[in-house]
Amino acid sequence: MFGYIVHRLLIMIPTLIVISIVIFTIIQLPPGDYFSTYVAELQSQGEAVDLQKIAFLKAQYGFDKPVWQQYLYWVVGLLHGDMGYSFEYNLPVRDIVGDKLLLTFVVSFATVVFTYLVAFPIGIYSATHQYSWSDHTLTFLGFLGLATPNFLLALVLLYIANVYFGISIGGLMDPRYLDEPWSWGKVVSVLQHLWIPVVVIGLAGTAGMIRRLRANLLDELHKQYVVTARAKGLPPFRALMKYPLRMALNPFISDIGSLLPHIISGAAVVSVVMSLPTTGPMLLDALRSQDMYLAGSFLMFLAFLSVIGVFLSDLALAALDPRIRLRGGVTR
Amino acid sequence: MRRLGFFFLAVLGAIASARAEAPPLKETPDLAPAVKRGELPPVEKRVPSAPLVTTPAEMGTPGGELRLLMGGAKDTRLMVVYGYTRLVRYTPAYELEPDIAQSIDVEDGRRFTIHLRPGHKWSDGKPFTAEDFRYWYEDVASNPKLSPSGLPEALLSEGEKPKVEFPDAHTVRYSWTKPNPLFLPALAGPYPLFIYCPAHYLKQFHAKYADAKVLADRVTEAGQRNWAALHNKLDAQYRNDNPELPTLEPWVLKTRPPSDRFVFTRNPFFHRIDPAGVQLPYIDQVTMGIADAKIIPAKTGAGESDLQARYLRFDNYTFLKEAESRNNYTVRLWRTAPGSQLALYPDLTVNDPVWRKLLRDVRFRRALSLATNRHKINQVIYYGLAIEGQNTVLPQSPLYDAKFREAWAKFDADAANKLLDEIGLKERNDDGTRLLSDGRPLQIIVENAGESTEQSDNLELIRDDWRDVGIELFTKPSQLKVFHLRAFAGETIMSIDKGFENGLPTADMPPLELAPVTQQQLEWPKWGQYYETKHQAGEAPDIPAAEKLLALLRTWFDSKTHEERRQVWQEMLGIHADQVFTIGLVAGVQQPVVVSNRLHNVPVGGVYNWDPGAHFGIYHTETFWLASDAPTAASDLPNGKKAQ
Repeated sequence: MFGYIVHRLLIMIPTLIVISIVIFTIIQLPPGDYFSTYVAELQSQGEAVDLQKIAFLKAQYGFDKPVWQQYLYWVVGLLHGDMGYSFEYNLPVRDIVGDKLLLTFVVSFATVVFTYLVAFPIGIYSATHQYSWSDHTLTFLGFLGLATPNFLLALVLLYIANVYFGISIGGLMDPRYLDEPWSWGKVVSVLQHLWIPVVVIGLAGTAGMIRRLRANLLDELHKQYVVTARAKGLPPFRALMKYPLRMALNPFISDIGSLLPHIISGAAVVSVVMSLPTTGPMLLDALRSQDMYLAGSFLMFLAFLSVIGVFLSDLALAALDPRIRLRGGVTR
Repeated sequence: MRRLGFFFLAVLGAIASARAEAPPLKETPDLAPAVKRGELPPVEKRVPSAPLVTTPAEMGTPGGELRLLMGGAKDTRLMVVYGYTRLVRYTPAYELEPDIAQSIDVEDGRRFTIHLRPGHKWSDGKPFTAEDFRYWYEDVASNPKLSPSGLPEALLSEGEKPKVEFPDAHTVRYSWTKPNPLFLPALAGPYPLFIYCPAHYLKQFHAKYADAKVLADRVTEAGQRNWAALHNKLDAQYRNDNPELPTLEPWVLKTRPPSDRFVFTRNPFFHRIDPAGVQLPYIDQVTMGIADAKIIPAKTGAGESDLQARYLRFDNYTFLKEAESRNNYTVRLWRTAPGSQLALYPDLTVNDPVWRKLLRDVRFRRALSLATNRHKINQVIYYGLAIEGQNTVLPQSPLYDAKFREAWAKFDADAANKLLDEIGLKERNDDGTRLLSDGRPLQIIVENAGESTEQSDNLELIRDDWRDVGIELFTKPSQLKVFHLRAFAGETIMSIDKGFENGLPTADMPPLELAPVTQQQLEWPKWGQYYETKHQAGEAPDIPAAEKLLALLRTWFDSKTHEERRQVWQEMLGIHADQVFTIGLVAGVQQPVVVSNRLHNVPVGGVYNWDPGAHFGIYHTETFWLASDAPTAASDLPNGKKAQ
């Protein structure tokens, strides 16, 4: 076990190096750089640009140097914990990301809890009552949830929430709480605003999870050990919980790997539509404006979390399901 | 005819100071507690001994909070635009008047003596004097580390540096040997040339004044590479993202970025007062909510902004209007000032030799213009509210002449067909499309930045008209940057974009948009490049009309009188009208401006423009005031029910 963990940890290093090269290359691929985007944007709004100041900044941040030097500069900074400098915000990257992480975490965590709370009971119910009238209804709703584009749903809910409940459009709290310290009123305001993004972001995931749970559970329910357990007079609820459900859980545990970065990055499209103060829109803006250190460092952070997440879920799977052997993991 | 160019500023200055026989001052209620506690000096000590008395349309009462919405943290700069506090500023009639300066004496258009207001203070209470000008000129603008590319363009008169003197603490003199007509308009711009900065604050970050060790610590702490980068970051008079930087603007930034909500509070040392002796601005606090630009129309419609025009477009009008009574605001329509809302730019410097020859033929450009049905565009897309015609100055400009707008602009397919036949484009293929001289079909690909459907809607209509005269039009939306790069490289045959940025010029503004001086001009990017890079790149203009335009521009810079400049402008506009370098469609499209019903003194009909205009700035935002009959935190109430 110990050797396996060390091996997995070591393999992360080349993985991350390759990811960093790919990230940097992709960010540099479009023509121009941050400043040319910035100038074009200002000019399209009819504003004047001080080209002398731009030239100063370009030289200041080494844009005149070859790409590999810029890459090395960035990577060496990352190793020292310096995530670089954002041109868009004119601040070090760590100052920008820090503020947004907490709220992103709140939204994503609430979404995950919402997904689990809704999906599990419904999934189990659908599986145990297969092809009943209620199963068909729930399945229909599930497909509806899968098929609705969530940005559209976001817009509809925003409009309804504003016109009928008077909740301000977009954002995670009422504007007047934005730069106040945390208070009871602020928490209430956040909760008032939270349900829309949670429902919208969680809906597709919930529907998907219901389907998967139902399918997995159905596979198990017809196996002989379940029949045996029933025949021996185990109460139906226990006969369900004790083994079939545990078996059906494996896919969800391997999902944890992708869950970790997801919690931090938030759902970008929905966040943009609803103007949530999460990291998703920030990343999107940074990529669009080629704010390379902000985008690069944040993507690197996400990559790091994915690698860790996959690692953790593999360990958890091995721990939870004795049928999974370590040898298999290594040769894969 | 207007005679009030800036040569008469001295006179205007005298008028301003005569009016400044100031009324007794009244303490601002919001600041009274601080004055009582001794944290602030009383109002008599805060405003200059000769304050600027501004007469608002309607006398207001101080107080309240104005809510704005913006698309990003970078938009804090717009408070400097809206605040519009400059050494000299444009009046709503586009004349220059002194503002921060008590007066400016101009001799021969080359010696400018700026008189400051005695007792004028920065927002932190430190005096604003000639030292702030000296520090900027000698230690910032002339310091090779801080300004590696030298002095700003507007301070160079044909490359010559100014002679700058500081006779006393309240006088600054800039002089050149030749006239410098760019100087005052640069000071009055929405993105002004700052020729001063808060020296007492910035000296802490300047290697010449600060202790080397302390400064080195500050640089590391701020994560900057050297002191010059730190100084430039903190000297954010326009960018306005440093809450510690003292300012002269009416509202001062209080929130440190990054944030999703920025608060600006009143500058207790602001230099303007109203005739009743109340210190301006009326409004205590401005809050700027940050949201994605695309959601701003929706948020505005939900009543979350008290004054909003940025990020609203004409096609949001009906939606905004519908929510008007529910959320207690009024949508007003202001004119915009581009010479043309959209114009087609045939690229005269395109790489393809066949196209280049054809596009340079004035008959071809005229034919395209004649074949365009502007009336239809106006009716279909702009509800008939726009002005049809060429890309030229607007009727409100003193330089306007109807013939410029009407030249070659009347829809006449027969005349267009005749012109095209005359050029020799007689052969057609089976689809009825004319053929180029090398046999290719005459298919024009119009590129655009792909940012709005408005452009494609326009092109769709034009395509039908042009097909009737045997020309095929294709639309190619791309992305802003790619669009520009292709145009600069000469790949683009034709593009569609906004017309002249400033459709409201006076003769005293430089006619830079009319001559090939920058690659941003899509009708001749390479000629512009040639001028911009001082002949390093691009191509020299080689048609007589363009050469003439450049020569006229030079004449304008050398001119001494208003009348000479006026003639240059008229002649240049005439060349443009005759040559149809750009094909204007419609102009004067309206900008929806959402104004809360509690907000007073916002003009019902205004012009929404960048330069001159500074968006709301020119209409004295400091005199806007809020009636207090409705609760301030309106956004938390059920909006749906409130107004009913």
